Amino acid sequence: MKIKVTQEKLSKALNTISRIAIGKATLPILNNVLIRVSDKKVSLITTNLDMAVLDYLPVSESEDGVITVPAKLLAEFVSNLPKGDNVEISSKDTKVTIKSGKYSSVINGTIADDFPEIPEINEEKSVVYKIGVDEFKNSVNQVIIASSNDLTRPALTGVFFNTYDHTLAIAATDGYRLAEKKIIDKVESEVKAIVPSSSLQEVLRSISDDVDEIEISFNDDLVRFRFGDIEIVSKLIDESFPEYQKLIPKNNNISVTLNREELIRVTKLAALFARSVGGSIVCEAITPDIFSVKSIANEFGENDSRIETTVEQSGKINLNSRFLLDALNALEEPEIKFEFSDRVAPVVLTNQKSDKYTHIVMPLNS
Amino acid sequence: MYDVWKNALAEIEQQISSANYSTWFQDTSLISTKDGNVRVNVKNTFYIKQLQNRYYDIIKKALENNNIQVNSLTFEVQATTKHRVRPREIIRNSTSISNHLDDIRSNLKPRNISNSQPTSDTGLNPKYTLDTFIVGSNNDLAFSAAKSIIDSPGTRYNPFFLYGGPGLGKTHLVQAIGNELIKRNPNYRIFYTPISHFYSDFIDSIQNGKGKEFNRKFQKLDCLIIDDFQLIVNKEKSQEEFFNIFNDLYQLNKQIIVTSDRLPNQIKTVDERLASRLTWAGAFDLQLPKFEDKCAILRAKAEQIGADIEPEAIEYIAENVNTNIRDLEGEFSTILLMSEVRGLTPLELIQNGSVNVNRTSKLRPISPKQIIDKVAKYYNLSTTELKSKSRVANIMLARQVAMYLLSKELNLSTNKVALEVNVKDHTTVMHGIKKIDNNLKLNFNLRDQIEDIKEHLYG
Repeated sequence: MKIKVTQEKLSKALNTISRIAIGKATLPILNNVLIRVSDKKVSLITTNLDMAVLDYLPVSESEDGVITVPAKLLAEFVSNLPKGDNVEISSKDTKVTIKSGKYSSVINGTIADDFPEIPEINEEKSVVYKIGVDEFKNSVNQVIIASSNDLTRPALTGVFFNTYDHTLAIAATDGYRLAEKKIIDKVESEVKAIVPSSSLQEVLRSISDDVDEIEISFNDDLVRFRFGDIEIVSKLIDESFPEYQKLIPKNNNISVTLNREELIRVTKLAALFARSVGGSIVCEAITPDIFSVKSIANEFGENDSRIETTVEQSGKINLNSRFLLDALNALEEPEIKFEFSDRVAPVVLTNQKSDKYTHIVMPLNS
Repeated sequence: MYDVWKNALAEIEQQISSANYSTWFQDTSLISTKDGNVRVNVKNTFYIKQLQNRYYDIIKKALENNNIQVNSLTFEVQATTKHRVRPREIIRNSTSISNHLDDIRSNLKPRNISNSQPTSDTGLNPKYTLDTFIVGSNNDLAFSAAKSIIDSPGTRYNPFFLYGGPGLGKTHLVQAIGNELIKRNPNYRIFYTPISHFYSDFIDSIQNGKGKEFNRKFQKLDCLIIDDFQLIVNKEKSQEEFFNIFNDLYQLNKQIIVTSDRLPNQIKTVDERLASRLTWAGAFDLQLPKFEDKCAILRAKAEQIGADIEPEAIEYIAENVNTNIRDLEGEFSTILLMSEVRGLTPLELIQNGSVNVNRTSKLRPISPKQIIDKVAKYYNLSTTELKSKSRVANIMLARQVAMYLLSKELNLSTNKVALEVNVKDHTTVMHGIKKIDNNLKLNFNLRDQIEDIKEHLYG
């Protein structure tokens, strides 16, 4: 096995793929990167058995062969080589030699037989979607904040990709709040799949600036994200996601339009006083024109901020300030809608113009 | 089957490295061995190929050594954890949580119903029926009177005056009477209105010069239902109009139904003539439901929306909500919603402390001094008079009421009470409390006085 490639390209690829190989895996070979060359195609692969990252590396010279090398060591060695030089990696038995100009080292590799085979998407049976990278990144970031890390409820530790009314939407909830974003209109194929949040985070981290589009393919129990030279294959969470659309209240009788920046500011102010009461703040719409955010901390004092807006019906709701801030930061437009009906039902936050993103937050017991 | 797999695993463990064993074989299980088609459950897709390509023979042999016939060996991914079926089933079987929340919500706000969704010109909401009204010792009198009205309207219980605190089912009961009357005789002319709407309609009609029409509209009715009578305003002209309509209908033996949160003579704005007429046929009260009644209400509610909730959870809610039925149902639906969202059963939620149901009317802690002050004030005495040794009837009554409240509301010992109200010893206190207790059973006036004082205390 032999490859020759520029230091930048190799270093970037190794940095991307080695993240998941620096783990606490009991199986030592999972800390290695698999380098496979066949027909002048070079692929670098790592896996943690929940997901796998593949990088197809464009090289100038190559000889067929396959070997595994400790990923972290290789990545760090290459990243410290001078930029602009070519790097040559060759293997003989399990000795892997890395050469670049005056620098050279030999790393003990492991034969590839023990490296797990990476499951593959069945292209014929898969459902494929394509989406712009910026849109994808923004949308996942807007939704993933609401996902849970409670491992006793696996369904909530992922982001739910589902289609309805010919729209592909992604959603996540931790039981206290829920975020949904419609990401693609007019889709023809259907999908219902929970992608682990950790896998999606890896996808987000791995997307580089020069990529425009991402292709997402779903199989029965696998998902593959393909962008630029990289492919990330991940298991799906085999659980049923709550039927969340029913949880989004439809007819809210109290609806106010608010300036997002202003609401963020008053929420932060209220949050200062809400610390000792678990972040609980009171949002109140008062006819005809006041929206107030209040918090009371018995030891420190209290805070009451007001925003002028149009209010048609009065009402109030107790919310966790951190959840509200998360939601507000995920919204994009300068003006947002804040809708609720009574203390039992959640508050619904949306952009004023676009209806693609919906964030709901459960009220706290008053 | 489990044991077979355990034995097979032990054998496999001997043959491969422990790292490989714990990576690939942990969390595996045997699904079935039927007809030699062995199916093994693995953690996720990433494991399938590895086991198939690398460990197929080892697994096969290990199973065969345990007397399992292996014609084929397949690996499958099944759900990682057992589904917590119960709370989710609630949602799948019923229409949806937000739907039944909407239901509950509209039940909670009956006052808005007549203007928000006037189902017909009667102003009645067909949602309220007698079947859904839970009868208990707190409301059985009012309920049987209601049934008698349905059988023969305009006779025995006319006017029907129903009173009780907020959220105890007044609107439900009177609307149910209206709906039932219409069901029996669709030509029956019935009109339900909260008193406030009665006013605004009346004022509108006068402004438009249609005062006579307004009057005629009501005179044509067979049954008039007035809700929230306590909100009657002290405007002579409108009250007189109501009085006239009341009289006209009454003369013609038309059924009149009035609800209020207290008795008419306790509503300051009500003219005495009207007050006495309203209770001609007696007044029926709806009281706070007892524990058993509350449980019955929740069980009926659960059945109605198809929710599966543990009896212990129902008892917990019933025990801890002591304000009214509206709050009771409110807490109930909150817990159901949380149960769906968090995926725990209602009882689990309660046990892990996620829900904090504690609704009593006793919101603020009160001191003995507050009780004595309030009682003295209520009976127009000074606290010194109340604590004096005077044996004047009204002062004695006030002192006994104070003792009663100190003991019942604050759980003070009789000795302590004796000190607070400055009486000789605890036997005097015991006598006083006993006297009030006995009188309460017979004397409605006294009961109202004490309720009034309590309202001042906690309100």
